[in-house]
Order: sequence, then C-alpha cells, then structure tokens
Amino acid sequence: MVRIKFLLMGGVVLGLSLTLLLIYPQGEEKKIKKQFHLFSELVSKDSEEDSFTLLKKAKQIGSLFDDPCELKMSDPPLSGSYSREEIISFAIRARSHFSQLALKFYDLNIGLFQEGMARVVLTSRLIGRSTSGEGIDEVRELECLLEKIEKKWLFNQVEVVEVLKK
Amino acid sequence: MENTLLRQFFIPSLKLKYLIRILLITLTAYLFFSYLCIPFYIKGISMEPTYSNGEFNFCWRLRYLLSKPKRFDVVVVRFAGTRIMLLKRVIAFEGEEVKFYEGKLFINGQKLDEPYLRYPCHWNLPPRRVEKGCLYLIGDNRSMPIEDHYFGQTLKSRVIGSPLW
Repeated sequence: MVRIKFLLMGGVVLGLSLTLLLIYPQGEEKKIKKQFHLFSELVSKDSEEDSFTLLKKAKQIGSLFDDPCELKMSDPPLSGSYSREEIISFAIRARSHFSQLALKFYDLNIGLFQEGMARVVLTSRLIGRSTSGEGIDEVRELECLLEKIEKKWLFNQVEVVEVLKK
Repeated sequence: MENTLLRQFFIPSLKLKYLIRILLITLTAYLFFSYLCIPFYIKGISMEPTYSNGEFNFCWRLRYLLSKPKRFDVVVVRFAGTRIMLLKRVIAFEGEEVKFYEGKLFINGQKLDEPYLRYPCHWNLPPRRVEKGCLYLIGDNRSMPIEDHYFGQTLKSRVIGSPLW
C-alpha cells in the first residue's frame, strides 16, 4: 500500500516536471526572451545619468538591432530603414528626455518561422517621467522580426500594431 | 470526537487522497482564473464614471461564445495576450458610419442617446466607416481632449469577453 502511494506521488511529481518542462522556454526561445529582457533592462532608468553612462547604454541598445533595422510606428512617426548609428542617436535623445523610464514586455508569442528568423508578437508598456515632470504610460502591441546573426538574436524589424484605429 | 473532526478539518493529515484533492483544486482554479474568468485591475480613467481607476473585476471569456457584442456593451479587448487589456464600449458595427459633432454621437447620420455618459463632451470627429470584421469602441469618459482618448475600430477577434459586473 505504501509502495503504491509512493509510486502515485512519484507519478504526480513526474507529471508536474514534464508540464514545467513544456511551459518553460527552450533553446532559441529562451535566448530570444533574454534579448527582450536585456532590451528592457537597458532602456529602463531610475534616475538622472551622466553622459558617459547615457552613451554606453545607448550603444548597448544599438547593439541589439540589426544594421539596418526597419521601424514602423506612427507615434512618434518613425517609419523606414534606420542604421545602427541612427538608432543609437534615437536612444540618446529619448533617454536624455526622460528622468525615469521603465520598459516592460508581456505576453511574448514567439514563432520561429525559418532558420535564423523569429517573429515575436508582444505587449509593451513604457512608463516614465520626462525631465520636465510630465508622466507617460503607454501600452502598445509590437510585432518584431529578429534575425540570428553570429549567435545573437538582433531586432530586424519593429512594427507598432494599431489595436484601435481612429 | 468533535475535537478530532475539527482538527481534521483545519489541520488535515497529509494523506494521498488529500494531496490529490488539493492538486485538483489548484489545477481547476488555475485553469478557471487563467482562461475563463481572468481577474484584472482597472488602470486609467477612460471608462469613468462606469468603471473607475483602481477597481477590480473579472473578464468573463464565455460572454460572447454563443452571442455577438451588442451596441453599448462594455467589452474587454486584448493586446498580444491577456496580461494587459482594454476596457471599452461598443458603439458601432461593420459598415456603419461613426461621427461626433459637438460631443454627440451620430451613427449613419442618426443621433444616438448615450445614457451612461455623465461628463460634458465637445468632441468633433469627421465621419468614418467601420471596416469589415471590426467594431468601433470608445470609452465613457469623453471629458478629455479627443487626442488624449484612446479609441477607434478594432477586429472583432480581439474582443475576448466582458467584465463580470
């Protein structure tokens, strides 16, 4: 009787482990999620930063993007193909405009559709306070294409999906 | 006897039957609150006074399983998933023409009364037709400038349910 109990409990533990294994992201998906996590960490800031940190972070943000990278967004109007240098300069301008920033990603739906290419649909939330004290809290759905270049997943295309169209 | 029963109820012994029961309850609760009745907090003032900032509610996902959203229904709209959602009111359906003039809503040229509105509105929006497969959604709080209010048409498939109350 005791043996059956242990067997049953073992079965439950095994079942839970398999479920966790299935839910937990594997291999490439895990690497892609890490890139988003890194992007979020680099964009976020708690307080004013000196120009050295600003430049360093902007360069690190730039290194997450393919060169060139296509952006499709209406607000702010940024549509077209942008070089890494241009993305770094956007990052510098945006970071210096805000005293506090937090970028969070939710509901990442990752699809690996061909060798070295991934399509990720997600919800992003940008919360911040400008240097003039104005607060922002923007939620957008993004569709990103990432390309694996030299073992790194880089943003190849970022499009803001229009959920509500006036 | 009574003492034992009480103790058994509040501090049950970890028998296999009890563990299985706990596991089943946990699994059922997880599935129910993740997929059928999703809890959410309201953040923002776009649906005031009907729904206020900070209120708690549930998104009932089976609401439109056998029926379609009706005019003036409050619906929950998803983004990429259900972690962040929008709460809006349906005002028009595909093929209809939406217009605001001096804060009044016009559908296909006919003025519609909106009894749920409490705040003054002076919006003007040129006429536009709702595209195929879409619904036109808007918030109840139209006291802010039209540019600051997030509204418009969205795909029907993005509507995932309605608030429970």
